[in-house]
Amino acid sequence: MTSPTTSAPRSSAPAPWPERHRRLYGALDRGAPLLAALALLLIWELACRLLAVPSYLLPTPSAIALSAVQVPLDSWLTHTWATLRVSLQGYALAVLIGIPLAVALANSRLLSRTLYPQLVIIQSTPIVAVAPIIVVVLGAGDAPRVVITFLITFFPIVVSTVTGLQATPPAMLELSRSLGASRLRAVRDIQLPFAVPYIFSALRISVTLAIIGAVVAEFVAAENGLGFFIAFSTSFFKVPQAFAALVVLVSLSLALFQLVSLTQRLVFPWSLPKTEK
Amino acid sequence: MKVRALRSILFALGVSALAAGAQAAEKIRWLNDWLPAGDKAVIYLGVQEGLFEDAGIEVEIMTGRGSSDVVSKLGTGAGDMGSGGLSALMQAKAGARVPVTAVMSIYTKQPDAVFVAEGSGIENLKDLTGKTLATATFSASNVTWPLVLEANGMAPDAVKVLKVDPGAMGPMFATGRVDGTINWITKLPAFEALASEAGKKVKVLPWSEYGFNGYGLSIFASDRLIKDNPALVKKFLAVYKQALQMAIEDPARAGAALKAMVPDIDADIAAEEFEVSAGLIDTEIADKDGLGAFEPALLKETWTWVAKAQDLPEDALDPEDVVTRDFLPE
Repeated sequence: MTSPTTSAPRSSAPAPWPERHRRLYGALDRGAPLLAALALLLIWELACRLLAVPSYLLPTPSAIALSAVQVPLDSWLTHTWATLRVSLQGYALAVLIGIPLAVALANSRLLSRTLYPQLVIIQSTPIVAVAPIIVVVLGAGDAPRVVITFLITFFPIVVSTVTGLQATPPAMLELSRSLGASRLRAVRDIQLPFAVPYIFSALRISVTLAIIGAVVAEFVAAENGLGFFIAFSTSFFKVPQAFAALVVLVSLSLALFQLVSLTQRLVFPWSLPKTEK
Repeated sequence: MKVRALRSILFALGVSALAAGAQAAEKIRWLNDWLPAGDKAVIYLGVQEGLFEDAGIEVEIMTGRGSSDVVSKLGTGAGDMGSGGLSALMQAKAGARVPVTAVMSIYTKQPDAVFVAEGSGIENLKDLTGKTLATATFSASNVTWPLVLEANGMAPDAVKVLKVDPGAMGPMFATGRVDGTINWITKLPAFEALASEAGKKVKVLPWSEYGFNGYGLSIFASDRLIKDNPALVKKFLAVYKQALQMAIEDPARAGAALKAMVPDIDADIAAEEFEVSAGLIDTEIADKDGLGAFEPALLKETWTWVAKAQDLPEDALDPEDVVTRDFLPE
């Protein structure tokens, strides 16, 4: 008789359809990058299986995952650490030398005229081609690999920092000079803060280059490291294993990239563009 | 009382320091000519079985990138001893007075070979006419290859050769992009494993069966080490020979030793690889002249091939200057 079943749910329904839609849409929007990546992996997997592509040409994602698991964890740690160690050392060296060098270049016409062309020459030299020579000159150990990484990473840091330093409005520099500020203070308190966004964009690019530099060096001379492991794996035609190492390399590169971005967000939040704050 | 106690402690410390000094191992920085694989297992076996340690030698193993890389690293002092093709050393010595000398032969037959698919109708070198082979871009085999063809009455360009990355050769062979590859015969087990995935079997045409004779892989030492510590070179070679014989008798043990030191290795493939390379070591030539020897006629023949390949006059180098027999194990 009194059956409210037809009307009750309708009246008590808390979320109307459009609201639910919106939430679903929001979730989809957030998950879109992940979904796109998963879709790509699925297409890759299916294409390899349907077209019967042999694993030594293009392994399926599942074969790559399987081979990654088959490599002992110890091996992964050893190789990853070796690459990371060299990358970070080369990168640190590039930062330590690159930024002071940029300050010198931006503030001295003579240095800029004499050193800049030489830097361009170093940058134009294919490091891959001279890497074997560097190894012969510097001998065994990390030293040649660190130097190769340094050579690949430091140029963007120098160029970008110089651009940033030169972007300082001349009026501000003139003002500081008229107020009797020393050259050093002008650099520290005016020029460098202006250059921070430029420096960080260079640091982000360079950190991924540091990984590339370490891998290039490992192709030429190394006993371990992910680059060595890729060369080693392909020498036994273990292509899925080489791909697995590639995945680790890319992850490492992304992690370092994010780490640099995070540092900027935490230490220099004012230097971020408005949209990223 | 206290003074006496202190004195005895100091004495004990002094004695133990002396003892440690006496036992301190002499170090050899060893360079393999290529990435770790079964054919490089001997040095790992020697280390793993403690043979070098027992002789008071500490060995650090490094990976070179090709024989000429080993020669230049030994020459510049980045290593003390190492393995490499004798031809590479001869070539380097003919160009510059590289301070490196070969002290022991390992391969008495050249390891170069052509791999083709079984059932492809290629039975010998002549059948390769008009076919395409893949070869590693920087392989030392590339300069000798046209001469081997000529020596067999074929035009030097009778076979098309594609230069590719070493890692690409196997896949190109398996997919049939090329009719065959130029490889060291020691790469056969890894190739067979790959080819079987593609349902193929590998047929080998060793160049040594087509007149390409000479010493292949040998042990080099830097002239600095030879001058400063000849006794160490002699001691090292004696142990190396012992490890070599051990590996020939038991390739599986050699594979396992390599695996123990380079965990990424497949021990079974490594053992097979060593077995194949043992066929270049334990030969009728080694039986006749003794393991490790440099016999003058074969040494000269090795040089003749290099001279021809490099377009050098025969008298550009006295092959005897490249080797020394002073350190050969008894």
